[in-house]
Amino acid sequence: MIKHDVLIVGAGLAGQRAALEVCKELDVGLLTKVYPSRSHSGAAQGGIAASLGNSEDDSWEEHMFDTVKGGDYLADQDAVEEYVKAAPRVIYELEHMGCAFSRTEDGKIAQRSFGGHSKPRACFSADRTGHAILHALHEQVLKNAKSIKIYSEWYMHQLVIEEGRCCGVVVSNIRTGEVEVIHAKAVVFATGGYGRVFKITTNAFAGTADGAIAAFRAGVPLEDPEFVQFHPSGLYRQGILFSEAARGEGGYLLNGAGDRFMEQYAPSRMELAPRDIVARAEQSEIDAGRGVNGEACIHLDLRHLGEARIMERLPQIRQLGIDFIGVDCVKDPLPIQPSAHYSMGGIPTNMFGQVITDADSTPMQGFFAAGECACVSVHGANRLGTNSLLEATVFGERTGRSALEYARNAEFGKLNESHQKARVLKQVEEIFQRDGSESYNDIRNEMKDVMMEKCGVFRDADNLKSCVDAIRSLKERYKKGKVTDKGQLFNTEVYEIIELGNMLEMAEIISTAALARTESRGGHYRTDFPKRDDQDFLKHTLVYSKDGELELKYKPVVITRYQPKERTY
Amino acid sequence: MKFALFTGCVARGATRELMLATIKSAEALGIDFVEMKSATCCGAGVVSEKNPVLTDALNARTFALAEEQGLDLVTICSTCQGNLKKSECNIDSDSQYKDKINYVLKDGGHQYQGGKIKIKHFSNILATPKGKALLKAKIKRPLTGLKTAGFYGCYVLRPSELSEYEDPDNPKELEELFEILGATPVYYPSRIKCCGFPIIMMNKEASHAMAGNALAEAVEEGADCVVTGCPLCHLSLDSYQPEIPILQEKHYSIPILHLPQLVALALGFSPEEIGMDKHIVSTARLDKILAQHA
Amino acid sequence: MAKFRIKRYNPEKQAEPYFEEFEYDIPDGATLLDCLNHIKWNMDGTLTYRMSCRSAICGSCGMKGNGHALLACQRQAAHLLKDGSDTITIEPLGNMPVIKDLVTDFQQFWDKVDQVKPYLKNKEKPPELEREQSPHEFKIIDDATTCIMCGACYSDCNVLEVDKNFLGPAALAKAQRFVGDSRDKATRERIKELSKPGGMWDCTHCGECVERCPKPAEPFYRIKELMAVGLKEGVTNNVGARHALSFVKSVKHSGRLNENKIPIESMGYFNIKGLLDLVPVGLRMLLKMKIPPIIHKPVDDVKDVRRIFEEFGE
Repeated sequence: MIKHDVLIVGAGLAGQRAALEVCKELDVGLLTKVYPSRSHSGAAQGGIAASLGNSEDDSWEEHMFDTVKGGDYLADQDAVEEYVKAAPRVIYELEHMGCAFSRTEDGKIAQRSFGGHSKPRACFSADRTGHAILHALHEQVLKNAKSIKIYSEWYMHQLVIEEGRCCGVVVSNIRTGEVEVIHAKAVVFATGGYGRVFKITTNAFAGTADGAIAAFRAGVPLEDPEFVQFHPSGLYRQGILFSEAARGEGGYLLNGAGDRFMEQYAPSRMELAPRDIVARAEQSEIDAGRGVNGEACIHLDLRHLGEARIMERLPQIRQLGIDFIGVDCVKDPLPIQPSAHYSMGGIPTNMFGQVITDADSTPMQGFFAAGECACVSVHGANRLGTNSLLEATVFGERTGRSALEYARNAEFGKLNESHQKARVLKQVEEIFQRDGSESYNDIRNEMKDVMMEKCGVFRDADNLKSCVDAIRSLKERYKKGKVTDKGQLFNTEVYEIIELGNMLEMAEIISTAALARTESRGGHYRTDFPKRDDQDFLKHTLVYSKDGELELKYKPVVITRYQPKERTY
Repeated sequence: MKFALFTGCVARGATRELMLATIKSAEALGIDFVEMKSATCCGAGVVSEKNPVLTDALNARTFALAEEQGLDLVTICSTCQGNLKKSECNIDSDSQYKDKINYVLKDGGHQYQGGKIKIKHFSNILATPKGKALLKAKIKRPLTGLKTAGFYGCYVLRPSELSEYEDPDNPKELEELFEILGATPVYYPSRIKCCGFPIIMMNKEASHAMAGNALAEAVEEGADCVVTGCPLCHLSLDSYQPEIPILQEKHYSIPILHLPQLVALALGFSPEEIGMDKHIVSTARLDKILAQHA
Repeated sequence: MAKFRIKRYNPEKQAEPYFEEFEYDIPDGATLLDCLNHIKWNMDGTLTYRMSCRSAICGSCGMKGNGHALLACQRQAAHLLKDGSDTITIEPLGNMPVIKDLVTDFQQFWDKVDQVKPYLKNKEKPPELEREQSPHEFKIIDDATTCIMCGACYSDCNVLEVDKNFLGPAALAKAQRFVGDSRDKATRERIKELSKPGGMWDCTHCGECVERCPKPAEPFYRIKELMAVGLKEGVTNNVGARHALSFVKSVKHSGRLNENKIPIESMGYFNIKGLLDLVPVGLRMLLKMKIPPIIHKPVDDVKDVRRIFEEFGE
């Protein structure tokens, strides 16, 4: 049996940052179903926020206010305060590690404007900030190769909880198909989001809720799953991300008539209003028939920025437009639409990354989570751009430290290896044995379609009910599929099927929580309940698995500095 | 058809038979080549290892010389072609850089304008409709039965934005020329690969392996000869051929011709007239095929 | 209707690889990856390949299309149908062992990246705030930082094909990312390592890495930048560096390459083995009188040439 003091699942920003923290003292394993540098953190483009004040005077208080207001007052303010206070130090540390930031004329880290931020505080590396930070951390992980054992292309099936304490995980080596148990004193999940549940998404194929659902199945509730962020500028029909930085640099959003419609929705911030507001504005224009050519499409116009500025600040975006839609943004506007992008919800943690299991913040011993898969909550009902790269780095470090401190004094939990292995082997075998006629591809497409249509930017009770029913029916059909690849060697088909199972669970959870929240807040908008309801819903949703059904409970929001006010831009 | 001829260094040195064949075939075709006597070495991708800006300046001076003559520039070496095109691209794409280069050229009485002349390899000229017509009109000895394997040379193919060939990943210009000359083109994967010349002194084994694999392929595809548009490839494939281990093992040998030599043969010149007797690997076995249409 | 001719390999089933054809009418705007997904999800679930971001940033989907390395997600499938052909040939990346179908083993690739010590080396205590770096200094490493480690350059490198000891384009480009970084303090140490056999001077300039790179990383140009730094640092006790120095000296003097001098100056006057290596080819050429003229004539107006060299301090 493989043993580590700390086992981290997910090797993106949060996972690698946590590993760098733990390896200072303890033995750490870092497991990923891809290869660390291929993690989805690398796809983030726009920037990482911190109140450095390199471009304009700034303060952590302003960053905190912007974040809390951006989150429509659902963020836990004690956590937000720690998080924004840590930001400058974290940026400088990244720079000291060698991260390649774009610079001002006098050699400082450059910062630009971003949606929802009242000051320009997005530190960036051209328009590939996630890539730059991911590789900087990866370089450090390679430097510390002797103290971090990396398991690349290993899939995490299940969390092992014994007597209320996390003891390890059950995994497969994707290359050989062998199932293994990893015994650990502490387990950290840094497994990312679940945008792939929706049809149009910026997410990689890997964003399939594996970590969230493994925690859920192990008895941990999921917090605020209904809050999904739709990014305003995903490529039309494909969802490929065009960074908000394009708007940060001065890009316009135009409807089919060529108008800058944001004037009607957020006159003071215009294109740089928070993402949920912009996405709803776009969707409203589209629904009213004012999309480009009457289609479900909006134009992102960068022509007036000029080639020089585009090549300096947004070179990757230009190439993406050329490669994926044959449009050169220097000459023509880019076609975009709202695309599922970020999961505000996830595995509930306290502000130290410790996973909690109820409204009283009761910890699940030995289990930690950080990054997009966690819900601290610092983003509340809507995340501001550049706050996620910051979250992954800050909480990657904090969670790593918490796991280290816990594991330092802990014993290995009691774990029955053969029993745990057998459980997973049985599940996998069952999938191999299915001899149905359903097409997994069809099931997946239907899930994505119904979620996009009925649980997307605009929601209402009828659609959500119908969505929940549709997902349940898909879950039944899912049991009647068939595997073509019966081999053990690098069998990507069977993992795609397992991932689909996780996504169907997640889809049901998202739509059920959305149905129950009869208000509009941040990224969750109900056309039948268009107002924010602080009286009844200034609280976090907790979704539990109970006897095969979903049970909803709630958790209070921590409010310290900023009392909820009306949210306008 | 009148052009400024950029000979490159090696055609004046170790492969003078290339220069000889070029002059003779141009004369026979009625192409007027004006030799650029003041032009420097193109840098060959080596000067830029030390100083890329110096390289661009030297090449800008060469371009200015051609501009002053009002003539397009023709190269007879893939390496020259690629390096000149790279300098042209570097300078043309950045007006501030161009000003900097021209500032350096000023005291020598030259200024590079840009956009006035084209830079083409001899094979590109022959591949134009006019070039093809000239060839067809002047062929005296169709090279019927000569199975000819082309070897392009890296610098004339990659990067593709700088290549004058239509499809650098699957070029046909040489093979089409062979057909016009009456020969039978032989296709093989390594015709677009590297001959290894740049590292012949740094890593002889690797260099020989590259050259050897390409030639072995050509032999196994039934080629009678390999024809190349680059004298550095010629040095690697011909002068070093007897030392190449894989060819020694398989007892393969194959004559290597410069492209202008093949053209000159079709135009009626004898092998001696175009320096084929200077080659390290004897071209004698081609005499029988050539003798068919003396 | 297009044909996808895919190289299959599954050692669990057969010892040898084979080609299998699938037919699919390529929809407008479909990438090669879109087509592979369609084939896998609708025709043959056993078809195995890596993929994740589908937006050319994770580097997972490297493979060969029509014999040349590319990112499957970045290439329009229709663009791979050329010259009236209706078939696209798909194979795994080259220069790597194949695990299954289009999945290759990247271990050696990563080992070589490790060899160049791919992390910032700076023992000084960092300042409280950021270390300063000008936009111009950032520009020097800008291109190299775009590398997504996809392996396309490694796959098609002509030197790696015949010499697995070569560090290869990806590792060398990564090395430049640090050599060129004003915050890295180990320049000389790095250059010395990179100047050893198998290092930067083993690059044969074939340009495949530049052609196949899906990003602005373009390894060959990074390698040339490394060479310039090596020469500037005076790390010249190797054939490649001496070759460059001799070349520059020759062109300065006469405007042309002196082919008689360069082999000797490249090998080095005291490099007996290297000089002896030149004897067979030298003799062969001498016997055919295939030698450059002993009296090396300069180009016309060579004075202007020398002036230009002096302007650049060469």
